[in-house]
Amino acid sequence: MGRSAPTQFLSRLVKTVLSGQVPPPGLFPEWMLDGAASLCSARASLTPLANVERLITTLRHKEPDHVPCCPLVISASRRLVGASFPEFAQDPYIAADALLAGFEFLGGEIIVPMLDLSVEAADFGQSMVYPEDSTPHPDYSDPLIKDVAGYGKLRRIDLKDARRMSNLLVLYPILVGEVGFRGAVCGFCFGPLGVLNMMRGAEHLFRDCVNHPREVMAAMETITDVLIEYVEAQCDAGVLGVTLDTLFASWNGLSREMWERIEGPFVRDIARAIRKKGCLVAVHNCGHGVYFDSQIRFMEPDIISFAHLPDDCKDRKELKARYGDQVVLMGYVETPLLSYSTPFDVMQECRKMIHDLADGGGFILAPGCEYPPNLHLDNALALVEAARKYG
Amino acid sequence: MNDMDQQRDVLITLKRSVGAPGADALKEWVDRAMKESIPVHDIRCALIQGVETLRHRLMSSDFGMPDFLLSIDSVLDGLDMLSGMEDAGSMPDTPIVIGVVKGDPHDLGKNIIAGIYRAYGYRVVDLGRDVCSDAFVQGVALNGAKILGISAMMSTTMSAMKDIIRDVKAKYPETKIIVGGAPLNEVLARSYGADAYVESAVSVIEQTMAILDTD
Repeated sequence: MGRSAPTQFLSRLVKTVLSGQVPPPGLFPEWMLDGAASLCSARASLTPLANVERLITTLRHKEPDHVPCCPLVISASRRLVGASFPEFAQDPYIAADALLAGFEFLGGEIIVPMLDLSVEAADFGQSMVYPEDSTPHPDYSDPLIKDVAGYGKLRRIDLKDARRMSNLLVLYPILVGEVGFRGAVCGFCFGPLGVLNMMRGAEHLFRDCVNHPREVMAAMETITDVLIEYVEAQCDAGVLGVTLDTLFASWNGLSREMWERIEGPFVRDIARAIRKKGCLVAVHNCGHGVYFDSQIRFMEPDIISFAHLPDDCKDRKELKARYGDQVVLMGYVETPLLSYSTPFDVMQECRKMIHDLADGGGFILAPGCEYPPNLHLDNALALVEAARKYG
Repeated sequence: MNDMDQQRDVLITLKRSVGAPGADALKEWVDRAMKESIPVHDIRCALIQGVETLRHRLMSSDFGMPDFLLSIDSVLDGLDMLSGMEDAGSMPDTPIVIGVVKGDPHDLGKNIIAGIYRAYGYRVVDLGRDVCSDAFVQGVALNGAKILGISAMMSTTMSAMKDIIRDVKAKYPETKIIVGGAPLNEVLARSYGADAYVESAVSVIEQTMAILDTD
């Protein structure tokens, strides 16, 4: 979080506060954020904190009254307003209604409004499938990049012509305005390698990373230019931070060396663009054996949202000891548990997780990945309740 | 160096060439082994030992999916060179049917597992992705499958596994069913009626052999 000149700081602060939004943390000097967090932490033992106070305290690695929660109920929220998957994915006003309904119904402190992982690829021209009963996805029988030469044919797109990304840029200000000081809206952007995966298919892309890295990286440069513009527009829309999804920085993707060479430099540029706007950088990676250290080195994230232990930690204790001071940990209730367990079992698992990870602040309770879109919401409620009760 | 020593060295180098950079190195060593008149069974065993080493490197930070996919490609190319040789069919004939559930477009995991099975000499019938329950049942019936592998990568599609397992087990209770995919775990897989849950390619062969041994 960078320092700002006093006049610039004051004018942006007044502007955001008057418009009912949480100001981006980068507007404030570090000492001011730390001071506010210390005061909140001291007060937390006496009175409940407001959601934003709880978040600030957690983000500055101080202990709040209880851990904040991000239930990651995204597509599942469509059911609260009777919307279908295609409606949720393609109509920003319906998506806004659904996500706000989720926020009102469940509570929690953070909303991450992403629609699906194909938003950026669809705007580059990837043909899509919008099933009635499942998440939209690329039509993998018709990939945009059909061969190695296809990487060079990828062209930069203008955000104003990008229908799905533009929809999100309509959605974000609605959410930011409605949520106001009751929570944080955190934007979302798939990393450039993920976007490329949606347009080439994972198997071909993986082979190309070894056999044709220059072509792959040329396409990623084109994509990254657009993504930088996209995350800047998200920041301008008033989000508190932007989440970058870097799935391939894990055992499920590239080796550490290859990820640092191929995707690392591009996501570093995207993270810098977010930080320059004063917003938080969050990373989401639901792979196994996530390369936390590489991601911290390249993106300097404020938050890492994860589903499995990083590659260099054998248990939660080691995770907290190694990374607890460097980054806010967000996770990591596993999807299968949410799918088959009772709300009571979910709460007990959350209780253990809070016990292991919440000491000293710096922990946000959340599922490891998006809450299953077709699942009833009992276990999301259990998650939020566990944060309040055991946090 | 006598012929036996020379053959042993060729097999050791062949094993080490599995996963080594360069697509042609492995094929050159298979060719060399064939010219040395090394029994096909021994060549195949060296390749399997190489894959064995790779599998156990898979969930690690210095060996990613791209390296693994290319290594399996070159092993399968090497095995192709052996097809038609006299004792090439001496591996166990254990037909395995494999596919991705209906509505799910993600087939990377399934393809990796299919490639590993093939490398180990299993006969694999790949039904592809977006496969309905009837097609799984038919696939098992037509191929006399001893093993059925089902993959789902989305929480929205994984529940289809339950119906597929029920339908297959109703007609072919002796067929062992293995499931895998990101939204699953052991408990969920068992609750669907699967005989085994495979978390990754690292353990798939051991788990397959274990459930076949339970017959």
